[in-house]
Amino acid sequence: MNPSTPLLVLAVAAAVGAVLLNLLLRKQSRGMLLVSAVGAVSGAVGAAAFMVPLNFCTFEAERDPVDFWFGIGLSAIGILAVTGLASWVLNSILQRRRLFEVQSSPGAFRGSGLAFLFLAPTLIILVLFLYYPFIDTFRLATLLARLGIPRTAFVCVDNFTRLVSNNDYLQVLGNTIWQSIAIVGFSIGLALLIALAAYQPVKGARIYRALLIWPYAISPVVAGIIFLILFNPTGGIINYALQSAFNFSIPWLNNPSAAPWAVIIVSVWKSLGFNILFYIAGLQNVPKDLLEAAAIDGANIFQRFFRITVPMLSPITFFLIITNTTYAFFDTFGTIDTLTGGGPLRSTASMMYSVYEVGIQNNDLGKAAAQSIVLFIFVIGLTIVQFRTAGQRVNYGA
Amino acid sequence: MSAATTDISMDAERAATGWRRLVPTRWIAHLALIVSCAIIAFPLFYAVIVATQTNSEVYSYQFTPGTAFSDNWNIVMNLNKIGGYMVNSVLVALAVTTGKVILSLLSGLAFVYFRFPGKWIVFGFVLLTLMMPTEILVIALFRFVSSIGLSNSYGALILPFLASATGTFLFRQHFMNIPAELSEAAQLDGANPWQFLFKVLVPMSWNTIAALAVIQFIYVWNFYLWPALIMQGPERQVIQVGLRTLVAGDTALRFGPMMMGAVIASIPPLIVFLLLQKQFMSGFALARDK
Amino acid sequence: MRLKNVLLAGAISALAALSIAPAIAQEVIEIPTWIAFTDAGRLGWTQERAAEFNAAFPQYNVTVTGYSNYEELFASTALAAEQGNLPAVVQYFEVATQDARDSGYFTSIAEALNGRTEVNGIPVNLDDIIAPVSAYYTVDGNFTSMPWNTSSSIMFTNLTMAAAAGVEAIPTTWAEMDAACTLIMAADNAPEYCFTWPNHGWFFEQWVAQQNGLYANNDNGRADRATEVAFNNEAGVALLTWLDEQAAKGHLYYSGAQGGDSWATVDQAFSTQQVAMAVYSSSDTALYTQTGVDNGFEVVASFLPYNEATGWTGNIIGGASLWLTAGLSEEAQDGALTWLLWLTNTENAASWHQVTGYIAIRNSSVDLLAEEGWFDENPNFRVASDQLAQSEVTPATAGALLGGFPAIRNIVTQAIDTVLLTDEDPAAVLDAAAAEANALLEEYNLLNAE
Repeated sequence: MNPSTPLLVLAVAAAVGAVLLNLLLRKQSRGMLLVSAVGAVSGAVGAAAFMVPLNFCTFEAERDPVDFWFGIGLSAIGILAVTGLASWVLNSILQRRRLFEVQSSPGAFRGSGLAFLFLAPTLIILVLFLYYPFIDTFRLATLLARLGIPRTAFVCVDNFTRLVSNNDYLQVLGNTIWQSIAIVGFSIGLALLIALAAYQPVKGARIYRALLIWPYAISPVVAGIIFLILFNPTGGIINYALQSAFNFSIPWLNNPSAAPWAVIIVSVWKSLGFNILFYIAGLQNVPKDLLEAAAIDGANIFQRFFRITVPMLSPITFFLIITNTTYAFFDTFGTIDTLTGGGPLRSTASMMYSVYEVGIQNNDLGKAAAQSIVLFIFVIGLTIVQFRTAGQRVNYGA
Repeated sequence: MSAATTDISMDAERAATGWRRLVPTRWIAHLALIVSCAIIAFPLFYAVIVATQTNSEVYSYQFTPGTAFSDNWNIVMNLNKIGGYMVNSVLVALAVTTGKVILSLLSGLAFVYFRFPGKWIVFGFVLLTLMMPTEILVIALFRFVSSIGLSNSYGALILPFLASATGTFLFRQHFMNIPAELSEAAQLDGANPWQFLFKVLVPMSWNTIAALAVIQFIYVWNFYLWPALIMQGPERQVIQVGLRTLVAGDTALRFGPMMMGAVIASIPPLIVFLLLQKQFMSGFALARDK
Repeated sequence: MRLKNVLLAGAISALAALSIAPAIAQEVIEIPTWIAFTDAGRLGWTQERAAEFNAAFPQYNVTVTGYSNYEELFASTALAAEQGNLPAVVQYFEVATQDARDSGYFTSIAEALNGRTEVNGIPVNLDDIIAPVSAYYTVDGNFTSMPWNTSSSIMFTNLTMAAAAGVEAIPTTWAEMDAACTLIMAADNAPEYCFTWPNHGWFFEQWVAQQNGLYANNDNGRADRATEVAFNNEAGVALLTWLDEQAAKGHLYYSGAQGGDSWATVDQAFSTQQVAMAVYSSSDTALYTQTGVDNGFEVVASFLPYNEATGWTGNIIGGASLWLTAGLSEEAQDGALTWLLWLTNTENAASWHQVTGYIAIRNSSVDLLAEEGWFDENPNFRVASDQLAQSEVTPATAGALLGGFPAIRNIVTQAIDTVLLTDEDPAAVLDAAAAEANALLEEYNLLNAE
């Protein structure tokens, strides 16, 4: 590599950082020199955060253009993150907020040492078993590493760029997204319909509740096993029923159009009762006066539903979407593994299942780590959405 | 919105009057509920039936108990030794649940009842782990846990899961809703934080504890990918992985033993869940609200 | 023998046993053994043998653990090795041979024996092992692993159904298969499909080898380390084209299950008479024959049908062998060797053949069974060994030695899946699979280069 490449990259990053920070802090109207200096440093640091561990390999002359752009993308993320943080810190300092102020809180005990003692076990475990493997996943993703072979080789960002050019993985990505949408949509939609029919307070509500919600306690693996017999091509009771009633059957497990629906049905079955319960509870809290008043004003049943009930239910819907999406992304793994093994035609291979296939079945740890990081991007997205909405009511002040 | 947890029957009296024409009539509600319950129950019901049948009884679609209960039991318990896996799962689930409740109580206490510099940074540090589900870390976690010699031990199944942002967050939210006067009064009485935790906070937190416990118990009971990677051999393996020996694809599927194993594996979480389902629902409400 | 003496002798030995017991208890050497079976027939049989062995050799304690299939055991072994938790004996399937040699997890049987002719009183006598098997497990002139469950891919026919449809002779070629299937599917009580097979990489390898087609370069990796796969040759394309055609005609049933999960689906289809013929491993000859008895139809085993255009060269040995972990203490290694030799002695090898259908791997076992009239009464049980005995040994039929083979198998079954479930061209699909396999092989070889 040309020895000046890293310097060039960092210089560009510094310039971008300086401009960016000035833009971010343009309302402060003071210390342009200071702001530019801080911006330049943070831009360089941001780019370096990704590029130093990678040894600036993406900018080597002999690499593919896609690697180059990948490197640009990574640097941009680094610059944005660090500059954003710097802007926030600088802003606080300029406004003379004290970042490390010990906030008063009523009823507090004396002795901050004791607090750290209480926190220590939690923090140690989080560092060892979450933060460390998390960072190690990124390192692993830059390696050619096979299970059972001690030797590894640095491959820059190949594990990622190959994913982009790999139709199989794009299919996995597509599967995961559409199947998650189907699981979440059907599960929540059906639950709302049933809840609308059933939210009338009735006798025996406790018994109904228990009878509705129990599949939540059934593990995804067990759900897969139970449905393995229901969908079985020979002894499957579902096809037997379809055959007897309508004279046709569905090749659940060996047809790439049908198999995803088998997984979706199992997943909806497992989460339906849980969703119904939350909707029933939510519907019972829609103020009746409001509905009555609307009815008197001449609003028909659909208007009342869409103008009053739906908005009143939106926090619950939102909560259910998040819970069910997490379920669809991660917990379906056990079901897929027992029911379809990701097939046929990889039609049921989810992103999580793909990590397992690549890393464990095919022993390719580096590529599996790269796929884990793609999955991580989705998790970030979900978490941000969750916090933006829940955050309005959550007090983070501590 | 703690009202989300209101029992279905609680508003029965009020709702019954005045606005009946706005809501579905009772028999529709009953019908919808019964049909939903029946559809949801069918797969497990059928699994229980099949657990007593031979393959040929399965192929003839009988809805009555079959003749193979003891044969299937023999395969499940004596050949594939499901009992041992069950014991391991119970041990691990109880250990993680207990440990996590204790650590979460302690960290919740630290965040709410102490002042220390950089509190929000530490809290953010804990909260950030919400974005690191173990699932996406398994490969690296496997290497780490193996390298420290924990593999194939109960520790590998327990230690990494003792702390979580969810648990900390749950108790922090709960404690923040407890009036500060209580802690002030306790301090006037000369109570130390330890005494305050066990004499005042814990007795007020049983619902939250139960909620976290039931969520955790089921979460741990469902462990599958992680134990499949880190545990070798059946001695300390958990039930979800143990079930794989019943679904092995190398020889003819035996539906009876498969279903019997599946049903047995579901009993402990179902018991825990049905006992604590009310707390479970309120736990979810708490976790996302206030 | 006087009763008093017996009692006395009993009392003395009981006392002796009591006084020695704690000493023995501390000295018992554990011999954990991992195998890839979970069914009563095979796991149960092996556990019974282990119990007998432990009773005969109280200084050892063999524990047998069953894994769901070869693929899972292979992954578990790699995971365990990473943690330093390998058992004393692991059953590795034939395609893992190259990985096993590269990994250094194992030591060869010959090396462990070090020229001894007996271990703990059990004669070694490796010359007794039938020729094709001992040749297959002798790598670089070194007896590598202990053959145990050796099989060949054969076909089972529901003769009752086939005869009723007017099929006069069991088909031996692809063309005859097609003709027989046309008859069977046209019969009055036609099954849903004519035949099925497990979409497991093994059968692809067998069918390619039959046509004398190579799977990998450098003489299937036997002349030198394989650096590229060759399965996208004419033999591979011919096979996929034939399978595709049979599926299109409605003859071939494909369950959608791949690799280790695929076996069960074939068992089920055959036993419930969804199909008239099943291509399978001889490993389950006993089960398939019994299935017919249980359900009232006659089951006949025959050679694996071959491509009449190329003729039949031979079949590869299949199954798995027992590998000895490297780095065991001398005592543990001897214990494991004793166990391996004992498990595969004349009587046990004969019994193993009878309960499963795996080939009786000792000449003395074959003689013993022949004396009892076993093969005359059970002709299905000699098909696999006949097929191997008649095979010509070429680089193709010797089977491939290939790094990362288990992962490459997944690529191949994926390709077959694609051909059967889409309209894509078999040759193009195989070329793409070969490219993917070559990339994997290149990475594997890079990390394992000397």
